[in-house]
Amino acid sequence: MASPGVQALVEAKWQSAFKTLNREEPGISGLLKTSQARQLASDFLRPRALSEPRRKYRADVMANAFRLLYQTKQLHGVLENFLEEMRQQRHLITEDVEAYMHEYEVRPYAFVLVTEVHETADSQIIAQLVHRLVEWFNAWRPTTETDGHPGPLESLGHVAIDSYTDAFQTHIYSVLPPSFSSGFKDLIASTLPVSDPAPPPDRALWDAFHALGLIERYESLISSVCYELVEKHVVETCAGQWSERMLQDLRDWMQNKVLPWMCLPYAPGARTMEEAGASLHGVGPRFDFHVCKTLCDLRTSEIFDIIVDYPDSIDALYDLKECLYRVDQRSNLVQSLRKANKKRLLHPGADTKDILAQYVSTIRSLRIVDPPGVLLYKVADPIRRYLRDRADTIRCIVSSLVGDNENGESLIDDEPPLPYLTKDAEDYSDPHWEPEPIDAGPDFRANKPGDVISTLVSIYDTKDVFVKELQVLLAQRLLAVTDGNYEKERRNIEILKVRFGEQALQVCEVMLRDMTDSRRIDQHVQSQKPSILHPVIISRHFWPSLQSGSFVMPQKLRSIQEEYAREFTAFKPDKRLVWLSHMGSVKLELELQDRTIEAEVTPVAAAIIELFSEKDVWTAGELMAQMQRLDKEHLRKGLNVWVDLGVLKEEGADKYRLLEVAEESSKKEGTVSAPKPKELPAVQTTQQQQAEQMRVFWNYIEGMLTNLGSLPLDRIQNMLKFARGYDRSIEQLGMFMEAARREGLVVVRDGMWRLNK
Amino acid sequence: MKVTIKNWNAIAQWRWDIGKEFDETDDEDLCGICRVAYEGCCPRCKMPGDDCPVLWGECGHVYHMHCIMQWIEQQPPNKQNCPMDRKPWITAERKTANTATQQTQAVQS
Repeated sequence: MASPGVQALVEAKWQSAFKTLNREEPGISGLLKTSQARQLASDFLRPRALSEPRRKYRADVMANAFRLLYQTKQLHGVLENFLEEMRQQRHLITEDVEAYMHEYEVRPYAFVLVTEVHETADSQIIAQLVHRLVEWFNAWRPTTETDGHPGPLESLGHVAIDSYTDAFQTHIYSVLPPSFSSGFKDLIASTLPVSDPAPPPDRALWDAFHALGLIERYESLISSVCYELVEKHVVETCAGQWSERMLQDLRDWMQNKVLPWMCLPYAPGARTMEEAGASLHGVGPRFDFHVCKTLCDLRTSEIFDIIVDYPDSIDALYDLKECLYRVDQRSNLVQSLRKANKKRLLHPGADTKDILAQYVSTIRSLRIVDPPGVLLYKVADPIRRYLRDRADTIRCIVSSLVGDNENGESLIDDEPPLPYLTKDAEDYSDPHWEPEPIDAGPDFRANKPGDVISTLVSIYDTKDVFVKELQVLLAQRLLAVTDGNYEKERRNIEILKVRFGEQALQVCEVMLRDMTDSRRIDQHVQSQKPSILHPVIISRHFWPSLQSGSFVMPQKLRSIQEEYAREFTAFKPDKRLVWLSHMGSVKLELELQDRTIEAEVTPVAAAIIELFSEKDVWTAGELMAQMQRLDKEHLRKGLNVWVDLGVLKEEGADKYRLLEVAEESSKKEGTVSAPKPKELPAVQTTQQQQAEQMRVFWNYIEGMLTNLGSLPLDRIQNMLKFARGYDRSIEQLGMFMEAARREGLVVVRDGMWRLNK
Repeated sequence: MKVTIKNWNAIAQWRWDIGKEFDETDDEDLCGICRVAYEGCCPRCKMPGDDCPVLWGECGHVYHMHCIMQWIEQQPPNKQNCPMDRKPWITAERKTANTATQQTQAVQS
């Protein structure tokens, strides 16, 4: 048994507890009252099914009961008790939720055909569920509020309500199945202001969400709905729309349509825009960011086509620039563009001209997006490397420099020429100095020559190749000019001089002067003795090598040449003329029995027809003998001109006959005007010139291989170095040998070359 | 058939008439002083042709005018010789060329 001390202690406790419960009431009546009050309170709070009718309680009785419980410090116990009962009763809610969710999960199959309808119907079930849960929530809420006045329970502070809310929410979250999230998302999505004008917001529903704490719990879901809305809208309105600034429109749209909606979840209490603004402070920028990001992603995926459209898509580029300030996706842009370039541009199917055009557009576009040029630097590298491998790049660049491409616009027209000088050191006293962008590579130089032409020219390490190609092109163009108007060429050369330097273009200067001099001389000669011949007199050494080999002109043509040469020598006593008979064009008229034909043809063709005027039938061999030194190819071409015009007819075995009377098939109108010879003057391209030179070295190679059997490539290279004027690299030699192999001259095995016998 | 030539745009090269027949496969004729082709221009000139003419010596050697003038200036007055054969330099009248041309003309006609 307990010691008397303990006994006394227990007794004292008991007394004090009894005293608390019984208060100062006589006997145990206080105790009875307390228990009665507790009974009443428990019964009042007891969670019951919604269908169960609620008993009416008199407010003053209730108030007294709670006050009593408060005084006897019983409230805590009552609350515990209530939560316990709630735990026992919550199966009611569970059943309800399950019923609704079951309906939701089964329903789609019934409505599968009409998607639109089923979505809204689905989300309506969820809305009903939410409303139902709010009903439960309100019904069980431990409140003694009467007509909006806080009762005794409320006076205890929020403890009771908070613990109740916690318990309730914990329960519903635990019973809501995973499919609820998607349903909820649909429901949120159905409230979006997609239609115009937007329907008034369903405030009751949003209040319900707030009451159940669904907003906090499913915040990420709500924002994802909103993100999806933004993404959908951006793609719908902006995809392929490059000719307008879209970003501002999007922001307006956010402001006018999405923002009011966003107030519902994020700023529930706000009455005015200012209040809402404060609540949205954290959320707004997030969505603005998302707008930028989506637009940026969209434009990044479209970047290749935007560049293709360049001058028209300039607004899209400005948008992209603004977005990139906000969203750091520069590396994405670079990667995407590089990928697109690789897939769509840098393949054998693309024309060098097109690649260059796209490159130029890329330069200009990216200069808009990123003025310092870091993006460009990163994107351009593969293009430049690819272009360097193409054989005709230089020619294409040069022809676009002088405006020789199809649309006739030349690059130099567009931009003021900058001096071909690059600043190597940074100017530290420049007040506008900016550091290099953070993503610039170590070998990036901000002070690179800025304009398009320098960028193109810098694909190659040396500008000599351009000058050489330019010379060839200029020769072709000058010789094609017949009306004596060289102003355009002169202007081009002047502009290019600024770029390449006076010295480099000296040769072109001489060519231009030859042209004007020829005109002057021609005027003089014509005044002395009129002639149908108007030659261009060129200074050899200053022109690219022209197709050489002269043939013997028929007497009539030759006498014209000689007469002119005589006059020339009389005018310039120290000089003589050497005719390049292959080149130029002759305009002549043929009078046949039944028709006259006017044609502008090559001198070779003119010589041939002149021969036919002596005799009607010639064989190719006879013609060759007559004209000497004329190669077969030119002869064939010249003959074909006349065959095409229906003047000559091939009669088998290289025999040609003049048709004095047109044949039925080719007989048309009396006068047939021939198309002008379209081909450009036969200036040898630099490639042909190289091939020509290589032919000389082939003799050496052949000799080597005959004497020594088989040799590796580097031996051949080393031996060729002894030859005078040999300046090829081993790669070039390799290419040449490869070409020789294709022609069947040599064979290679294990890197050893030998003659093919 | 009658062929009438209306217009002929031809291309020709000019050569200095250095008194020998033009040969299709000729080697470059170089100025003995600057080693640049006659039809090119001497190192100080930019434009070939009339701006940088050639001079014929009585001895038959031909140089760019600028080259031989400079050479002559650098020599003492009594030693103004042709750099090739050390004979006194006398600029030739242009007889050879004209006679040559006339001869060829005579042959042709």
